[in-house]
Amino acid sequence: MNKTKKMVFLSLLVGMAVVIHIIEGQIPVLFPGVKLGLANIISLFALLVLGWKEALVIVVLRTIISSIYGGGFSVFLFSIVGGLLSNIVMIILYKFFKDGISISSISVCGAIFHNIGQLFVAAVYIQDFKIYIYLPVLLISGVITGFFVGVSVKFLCYHFKDMFAKERRRDDL
Amino acid sequence: MKKGDKIVLMTVLALLVVSFLSVIIYRISYKGKALNAKIIQNQKVLVEVDLEKIDEPKEWMVKGEEGHYNIIRVEKGRIRFIEANCPDLVCVHTGWLSQPGDIAVCMPHNVLVKIEGEKEELDEISY
Repeated sequence: MNKTKKMVFLSLLVGMAVVIHIIEGQIPVLFPGVKLGLANIISLFALLVLGWKEALVIVVLRTIISSIYGGGFSVFLFSIVGGLLSNIVMIILYKFFKDGISISSISVCGAIFHNIGQLFVAAVYIQDFKIYIYLPVLLISGVITGFFVGVSVKFLCYHFKDMFAKERRRDDL
Repeated sequence: MKKGDKIVLMTVLALLVVSFLSVIIYRISYKGKALNAKIIQNQKVLVEVDLEKIDEPKEWMVKGEEGHYNIIRVEKGRIRFIEANCPDLVCVHTGWLSQPGDIAVCMPHNVLVKIEGEKEELDEISY
């Protein structure tokens, strides 16, 4: 992919991530504070097909843009720490243990670290580490949502494979 | 299932067990103590009530900057956020708090309600 194409593709992914992030905020969930983490689909997809730098760019841009739309500084701080932590964990897992681990497991780890990071920010912000009593519930939800995000990313990659194959052929010509 | 998946699974299970156990221990250590609720805004305690001594339901409005508000309702033995104008409404959805150690937080407005087992410090001085 050349530079312009890559940039356009990246911006499209950021746009999608922002829209997913905003929509998922409106979906009611069983337990307060639990989120589906659907925006993670885009980050993980970017990590798999573009690379780790692009994945980080997408997370940072997505967080900034979506906290402009709704929320404020505290919400921004809250989600950027969770997002960065989860992405760094996923990047490390993917870069070093790619052959021994499935995409679903990577995404489960990402979701769990997202929750741990968010709870950490919340605990520091309110100066009360008792908020960690929410951890068990968030762990369970992280495993469930992370697994389904992993499955969706697998499907997404499968369907994008043709597109990238065509792309490469065109570049070769 | 690959090898890495098994390691992830084991780690997650261990983490789950540890966190569940610590929550259970935490609950047990608070059991049977008085229900003292605190409403805290920006790390400052605004209101402190003994939930068992509340006979009539009561409501407080906690006002913050830029028109932020949270309304907190107290009934006998329980307390909750009933209304707020924060974007995510996590505090309201947390529902009733009725056990020592329960906590509800409104992150955007930095308001939290928690139930503690006993009044800190003062009781010890009065001995």
